[in-house]
Amino acid sequence: MTRLVTAEIFKLRTTRTFYGIVGGALGLVLLIVVVASATATWNPGDTPLRDLLGISGFAQVFALVLGILALTSEFRHGTITPSLLVVPDRVRLTLAKLGASLAIGLALGLAATGLTAAIGAAILNARGIDTGLTGSQLTKMIVGVTIATALYAALGVGVGALVRNQVGAIVGTLVYLFVLENLLQIVKPLRDVLAKYGFGGVGQGLTGTGDAGADHPPLGQVSAGLVLAGYCAIFLIAGIAMMKRRDITA
Amino acid sequence: MTHAIEVSNLTKRFGDVLAVDDLSFTVDEGRIVGFLGPNGAGKTTTLRMLLGLVYPTAGSSTIFGTDYHHLDDPVHKVGAVLDGGMLHPGRTGRNHLRALAKAAGVSGTRSDELLQLVALTDAANRRAGGYSLGMRQRLGLAAALLGDPHVLVLDEPANGLDPQGIRWLRDFLRSLAREGRAVLVSSHVLAEVSQTADDVVVINRGRSVAQGTLTELIARSGGGMRVAGPDVRRLRELLVADGANVSGDGDIVVRDRSGEDIGRVIAENQLVVSELTPVGSSLEEVFFELTEAGGGPS
Repeated sequence: MTRLVTAEIFKLRTTRTFYGIVGGALGLVLLIVVVASATATWNPGDTPLRDLLGISGFAQVFALVLGILALTSEFRHGTITPSLLVVPDRVRLTLAKLGASLAIGLALGLAATGLTAAIGAAILNARGIDTGLTGSQLTKMIVGVTIATALYAALGVGVGALVRNQVGAIVGTLVYLFVLENLLQIVKPLRDVLAKYGFGGVGQGLTGTGDAGADHPPLGQVSAGLVLAGYCAIFLIAGIAMMKRRDITA
Repeated sequence: MTHAIEVSNLTKRFGDVLAVDDLSFTVDEGRIVGFLGPNGAGKTTTLRMLLGLVYPTAGSSTIFGTDYHHLDDPVHKVGAVLDGGMLHPGRTGRNHLRALAKAAGVSGTRSDELLQLVALTDAANRRAGGYSLGMRQRLGLAAALLGDPHVLVLDEPANGLDPQGIRWLRDFLRSLAREGRAVLVSSHVLAEVSQTADDVVVINRGRSVAQGTLTELIARSGGGMRVAGPDVRRLRELLVADGANVSGDGDIVVRDRSGEDIGRVIAENQLVVSELTPVGSSLEEVFFELTEAGGGPS
């Protein structure tokens, strides 16, 4: 299995798209972090570094797209055929892609949060602003955002296995996450559930970016992580079931 | 004895369309089998079922007695090239091959050797999006050979190859069969396999319409091997004594012997001939005759 995961990581990192996505994620996060930490003003009692780490959460979206591409680009370009000739067991192939995407998601999340914390803290220090976070709070946030990034990559693999159409999978997922989930919250009874258990709410719980004082306080970090992992598992199980029964005709 | 490839009663229905209908044939080691039929006859679907990519509605297909999904080391048993162009346009040819090699546990050295074998070394570090159809086919062939397999399955491998490429492929397939490998090669052009295949399976609309050795098919078509030269009379006597179906005076046409069979008789008896040629046009005719029922190009 290690061999297959290595091969999948190799597949991902031998296209320019991969570097575009990773570079885009880190570039965007760092640009906003640098600008925000250098120009924003905070009141006493605020937590500037927590706000900055919230920005590194953008990496999750890029990880999601990477995960979706791991499968859909094979269908789009027909490379799924040679891949399955080498690894005829479709469950193993999908799990290898899951392993590769989780590893890359973890690395991306760690790079985004680590750089954000280091650069953000340095700029805040230079401006004489207190970061507002203790060492353990900082660690907790870095761990939370990193795991969220890896889980979003895993979610992408599940969505890709289920939908297969690259554009459809990416657009559909982003529209749900950024538009539909917020729109649905206009409906009062849905709002109560979604604020806590929707992807947005669960993400806030896991990364520690939510507002504990809000009328719908987010879940604790561990429970939020488990719920998000559960969502990933649902998509992965459904996706693998589709992969198993599908005829590969091109 | 287990056959290298055994297809039995294979059937595939896509919705209302019966793509493959109760098809059975076998391929043994050391043989090249031409899998013929017009476009849309069900060749690709059959090969994809054999390779575990498409699930049959009924029937089965095995490689050395095991279905593809249960082969413990598929890359070292079967190599396959299915319709060209299955490359990520942004990945280089070398990296495409290496990704498959990594998954198969095959060394990077082996993939570089194969790139050399298919004459792609110079283009290996270019992105595959710029490859010609012939280059894609050759890269596909390199991928099929990664595990030095005993069985090769090739779907229309001559598509996109220039005349030199087709000749290279023919010699290459011959040498693979000489090494004792089983080769199943599909084509919609009979002439393409007539100089390579030992046996042929002809299908039309998903059903087998003819199977046998190429010599048998030629005999059936009313064609054969034409022989001319000073010792033809003597050759004719020898062949007739052996029970061959020989027609013609002066130049003769031998219906049920392969070129190699006749060549052997010529060599054993130290005869002199000036010409030994397949009478090919009628071979195409029999192919049309067998597959015409479908009517019109599809």
